[in-house]
Amino acid sequence: MPVPSRQSNTARIVIAKTALDGHWRGPQLVAHALGEAGYEVELIGMRQADEIIATASERQADLIGLHIGGHVAVAEQVIEAIRAALPEVPIFVGGVVPPWAKKRLEAMGVEVYPPGSQMRDIINAAARLTGFDPVG
Amino acid sequence: MTADEREKTWTSASGIPLQPFYRAADVPAEHRADADGAPGEGAFLRGAYPTGYRTKPWRIFQLSGFGKPEDENERIKMLLAHGETGFIMEHDRNTADHMYDADHPEVVARARDVGLTGAVMQSVNDIAICLDGIPLEATYGHAGGGVVQHAPFALAGYWTVARRRGLDLSRLPGTGQSDFNLTYLGCPPKQQIPTGPGLRFNIDIVEFCAEHLPRWVPVSIAAYNAADSGINAYQELGALFANAIEYLDEVQRRGKMEVAQAARGVGGVSFRLSMDLFEEACKMRAARKMWSTLLRERYGINDPKVANLRIHCVTAGSRMTYQQPLNNIVRGTLMGLAGILGGIQSLGVSGYDEALSIPSEHAHQMSVRIQQILQNETNLTAVADPLGGSHYAESLTAELIERGRAFQEQILEQGGYLACLDSGWLQARAAENQVAEFEAQDKGEQIVVGVNAFAEDISPHEIDGFMGVDDAYDIAIERVKGVRANRDGARASAAMQALAAGCRGDDNVMPLMMEAMDAEVTLGEVGDVFRDAFGDWQSPIAM
Repeated sequence: MPVPSRQSNTARIVIAKTALDGHWRGPQLVAHALGEAGYEVELIGMRQADEIIATASERQADLIGLHIGGHVAVAEQVIEAIRAALPEVPIFVGGVVPPWAKKRLEAMGVEVYPPGSQMRDIINAAARLTGFDPVG
Repeated sequence: MTADEREKTWTSASGIPLQPFYRAADVPAEHRADADGAPGEGAFLRGAYPTGYRTKPWRIFQLSGFGKPEDENERIKMLLAHGETGFIMEHDRNTADHMYDADHPEVVARARDVGLTGAVMQSVNDIAICLDGIPLEATYGHAGGGVVQHAPFALAGYWTVARRRGLDLSRLPGTGQSDFNLTYLGCPPKQQIPTGPGLRFNIDIVEFCAEHLPRWVPVSIAAYNAADSGINAYQELGALFANAIEYLDEVQRRGKMEVAQAARGVGGVSFRLSMDLFEEACKMRAARKMWSTLLRERYGINDPKVANLRIHCVTAGSRMTYQQPLNNIVRGTLMGLAGILGGIQSLGVSGYDEALSIPSEHAHQMSVRIQQILQNETNLTAVADPLGGSHYAESLTAELIERGRAFQEQILEQGGYLACLDSGWLQARAAENQVAEFEAQDKGEQIVVGVNAFAEDISPHEIDGFMGVDDAYDIAIERVKGVRANRDGARASAAMQALAAGCRGDDNVMPLMMEAMDAEVTLGEVGDVFRDAFGDWQSPIAM
């Protein structure tokens, strides 16, 4: 797949699913909303840590979104792997994340958006984490 | 009335315009005769059976399972002891959906996910543990196998356990699923056989059941998985019947059994129940009339034993909120009520902790108790089709039928239901509805209590959700290695080769699957045979 040339007036977000669970409603909605807000968004589906890292490096992602769908222990491993390989790229997480798991992930320094999160908060987070606000 | 109230457009959840009230003249003339008919006859608008719930209340039928087969066995027995009147097996999504054994690299990378979404069942031995002590001859069981490619394994595994107990398969009650809406729309696996071979498997199962398991519902079209992906109420009707047409046309083309007999098997379907109470209730009424009309007009079938559609429903998981989860007990009750007003035959109520985890024991008990309260304390079971004759309900039912048929025709014009999954057209309809709904919530036009309105919580009642177990993966690895080492290797190899040859030919794969299961061929081995024979479906969506 050819790498699109990087536009200077936006930030690029790669969104992946860490679990082998094909439910796509959440990540699709978030990707759509971030796209509408002016970000370049790439959805890459169910991927292992090394695949997410490879895509994020190749695309020079400014932010990585992980849909974790309740699978917390595996998400923690993926976050640690990304942190080690791409320490400068911020990560945010969405999906079915019970309160206890939300606290654990937040303690790792990632932002967590469980079901019922408002899209404007997710878009604001993208602006804050990438340092780029297409809306201005 | 304020100016705002006058200007606001009132619609059903699917966008059908609603009047402030209805009169007799609002019911289309051609619908009135059915509306004045009786349940259990004619177009079955008013119910599948003449006596409604008096003879038999709806079946309490909850999805359940996690961890090791032993954990799932314990949960199923708990639910049956609490009054569940059937049971649904849930296979671990990581392994079952993709047909990987636990030592497949994609699973190894996610070892700690294994068992979170169902029990790991990699051979007939695991299925036997999950079913241990459950009287299969007397209990209506759902064998799992929601994902199309997994169904032959799940069904043949369940039937092999029954056969090993010496049970007569021809008397075995239960249901399969093999659900295109789950597999290709709602939750596509990472690797999945294409839709064409999927259809072939489903009709193989239909034909096999006709011959060997007449009391088993071979495949069940679960519109739930289309609806919870975004498909609206009338689209759900249209997509479900376009799916049924695909099955029945294929039965007709193969010419090995009567379409009527296949229709009897296929005519146990499932829908999602959501929060628009009257639209959801009327959707069930509409579905029954659409089914009997479809069978008469397209296949010339008038047999009332075939034309009475039986409906299972599950309340919408996506309507259960993360915030203030106890509110979901009310939501589960109302969605269940909609189905009961619509005259459904079985019901699963989502756990109140649905947005946090798979159900805890207490959430599961609550789902059963909600249904028991509805069955025993409300007098809802006394009179069939209580909405029948309401000007509003009949008008809405007629409108859902008209729009549902139009959507069905749109699908047929594009080559049919499978073609619309392959092209991504149905997925695109789901996605556009998701976006529209989310925007309505974001603007506050659609209120979700506790989420985008009334979010104050004076007594925060935080629940943990279900924690699961942590030994499912290790046990799964031990067991899959054990089964490969201890079985009759020559018999297992021969069964795999026969299955591979069968997949490349035209014969029914189910007898070959029965032998493969009895020979203790594993989930991943069957998956490899399917992948070699059929290749992978190319998903039109990025998942």
